[in-house]
Amino acid sequence: MTRVVVPIGPQHPALKEPLNFRVIADGERIVELELNLSYSHRGIEKAAEQRDFIRALPLIERVCGICSHSHSTVFSMGIEEIMGVEVPPRAQYIRTVIAELERMHSHMLWLGVAAHEVGFNTLFMWTWRDREAVLDTLEELSGNRIHYNMNEIGGVRVDLSPPQVDAALARIPVLEERMRAYVAMLEDEETMLARFRGVGTLSREDALRYGAVGPTGRGSGVDYDVRRDDPYLVYDEIPWNVVTDTDGDVYGRTKVRIGEIKESLGIVRYCLEHLPDGPIRVAAPKAAPPGEIYSRYEAPRGEVAHFIRTNGTDRVERVDIRTPTLANWTSVVYSLVGRPLADIPVIVAAIDPCLSCTSRITVLNRGEDARGETSPYTGQAGWFP
Amino acid sequence: MTDPLLLVAYVLVLPGFLFLFAYSMVFEFLDRRIVARMQNRVGPPFFQPFADLVKTLGKEVIDPQGVDRPVFDAVPLVGLAAVTTAFLYVPVIGASPLAFQGDLVLVLYLLTLPTLALFLLGWLSRNIYAAIGGIRAVTMLFIYEVPFFLALMMPALMAGTWSVSGIMAWQQEHLWFALLQPIAFVIALIGLQAKLERTPFDIPEAETELVAGPWTELTGRRLALMHLANQSAAVVGSALIAAVFLGGPSLPWTIAPPVFGAAAGFLLFLAKTLAVLLVLATVRGATARFRLDQMNVIGWKYITTAALAQAAIVLVMNAWWGGP
Amino acid sequence: MTVLSEMLRNLVSRPATTLYPAEKVPVPAGFRGRVECDDERCIGCSKCSLVCPASAITMVDSPREVEFRGKTMMRKKKPRVAVYRCIRCGLCERHCPADAIHLRSVLSITGTDREEVLA
Repeated sequence: MTRVVVPIGPQHPALKEPLNFRVIADGERIVELELNLSYSHRGIEKAAEQRDFIRALPLIERVCGICSHSHSTVFSMGIEEIMGVEVPPRAQYIRTVIAELERMHSHMLWLGVAAHEVGFNTLFMWTWRDREAVLDTLEELSGNRIHYNMNEIGGVRVDLSPPQVDAALARIPVLEERMRAYVAMLEDEETMLARFRGVGTLSREDALRYGAVGPTGRGSGVDYDVRRDDPYLVYDEIPWNVVTDTDGDVYGRTKVRIGEIKESLGIVRYCLEHLPDGPIRVAAPKAAPPGEIYSRYEAPRGEVAHFIRTNGTDRVERVDIRTPTLANWTSVVYSLVGRPLADIPVIVAAIDPCLSCTSRITVLNRGEDARGETSPYTGQAGWFP
Repeated sequence: MTDPLLLVAYVLVLPGFLFLFAYSMVFEFLDRRIVARMQNRVGPPFFQPFADLVKTLGKEVIDPQGVDRPVFDAVPLVGLAAVTTAFLYVPVIGASPLAFQGDLVLVLYLLTLPTLALFLLGWLSRNIYAAIGGIRAVTMLFIYEVPFFLALMMPALMAGTWSVSGIMAWQQEHLWFALLQPIAFVIALIGLQAKLERTPFDIPEAETELVAGPWTELTGRRLALMHLANQSAAVVGSALIAAVFLGGPSLPWTIAPPVFGAAAGFLLFLAKTLAVLLVLATVRGATARFRLDQMNVIGWKYITTAALAQAAIVLVMNAWWGGP
Repeated sequence: MTVLSEMLRNLVSRPATTLYPAEKVPVPAGFRGRVECDDERCIGCSKCSLVCPASAITMVDSPREVEFRGKTMMRKKKPRVAVYRCIRCGLCERHCPADAIHLRSVLSITGTDREEVLA
């Protein structure tokens, strides 16, 4: 049987961001896969070292377009801990509200993208229509749809007014109704189930071995969520559950994400109803004492971690950003081998990849930097990040 | 209709080529509009398919490196010609004047040609996505063609004629085949959906996997003609199903002046093809794309079996009522 | 069946699309849009320029008498905003001591004024 090399990416309609798969296919079956990452290195870590904390926060927020609040929260939590600043409860609640709204809009976006990858464009249109309600809420609360810029060291930038809270609360029942509809659709849309069930299967052992995080890991039965296991903000004070599933395939991850949207709706409602009074920020010192911290946060895609080292100035000496997508890539490559070509988009989409956020390094002169192995099929050097 | 001038007018203008192209654009508009509305979108304006056609016809034709140009140019024309020829044998305003015994088989085979044209285009494109798409198109052809042909031949078996117009005339005296042979009707609809490569059978041109499959390297007039061929195939296929299963444009009673009769038949044709389109559009909106291996299982295990079961039922019915 | 029933419901109900040039989405009160400086109130302290993450604000000479906290004072400079460099983070508004610089609810992502776009 002849083997063909199918290049997927860096420009390909299935990928919303640059990434390269060199797929060696035997007919329709994938026999070998090379993954090339890091096409859009932006030098954010270095740029963050050049700015004081106030100016670094909007930059850190722009690591990712979807989990913008995640990155800025994990960064400011780290700095606050080094400074020893206690964030007032009202600010904590507001941060939680924004974080959970962000999780909702990210998961709804994902649901649409996953449906689109298997050609189910109707669901794609519907979820993105309903996602507008979440984005409108975020726009009303923070003044922007994507980059909320709610955080600052020591609290949040703006307060929530009672009309804003009421407007946000009014949208929750509508979204809950929609989520029920999506669960029903997911259960009885046979063509979609055929593309989701048994695809990209990752057992619990493999998920642990390859370090899968977030809904990818929880969809394989890894009962781990930073929000519960290393609580931050107000997650230890409010009622909510970690959603897990044992299917381990794309369907399991879909169920986890829809379950998480439901949980997020509950968290947002609880936080808005129990919003404590008080100040929204405390005055933080300009400079941070020397220190190191590994700050963790459960972003919509999984655990995001910032390693921060300060040196007594108003800037970080080093910030190292580990995005959840990087942790999930290996599991994708593992579950793709042996699958038909047609499963590439949906398996890749199932981890909700955020590629440009993952680009931490850039390699010039790829040929020389190769790991020294050449593919027996392409004769070209592979390069693994 | 023995007047040669009238025949030329029939072939070229009213139910012929011009009407086919115009109607195929209306068809595409309605298809896109219905699906858009089902997805809660607005959808394209009425003239969009025509604007697209004019625009792509006027665009630059880009030759991929090393492509066999004359063949690459000719293949879309062959596809379009096959579809337009098939349309001549499908009843539009009453029975087709060109009808003969066996035109059903001719129409079915002519409708196969666009798929083969797509395969050729994919193969000639010298592009990996196009080649995989072309191979998928042909693989799919083998899967859906058998049940599709079986389903469309069942009415012929029962009516005892191999002419589309003859089958239509039989239904006028008896019942619609959609009611007599519901299994064959459903299989024919599924087969048409697969033939037109629409979701859930858009496997060859799966956007998220193969960019555009065999269409990837098509530009300018090649793209325009191939697109027109595909849209015309949608009209011809719907008209074929309307004629074979839904009684076509024939009225159960005669209307006094033949002009009115023809007009009524024409309206009936529009109504029935649009009904078929509504079903096809709903299926397109309500499904996700199958994988080729899943399509294989569904096609051979279930659809072909169902078609064979229908054949057995028809043979028994024929024997019972002392068929032809 | 849920999919089909919703599809048919949508077929007869109004589409959700906002037909943009004809109808516009309402802009909420706190929307962060174009940055504008209130010339009457600005005391020329340069805080906005220092805090701007995109370095979109430069201070230009503009001597003028302004009222600040009940006192009259002379200011030397005022900010000039390169609107298309601005990332609309709202830090200038947040750190302004005189409540002079504001993000208005006017969109400022595109423009046709060459000088302003290149600034």
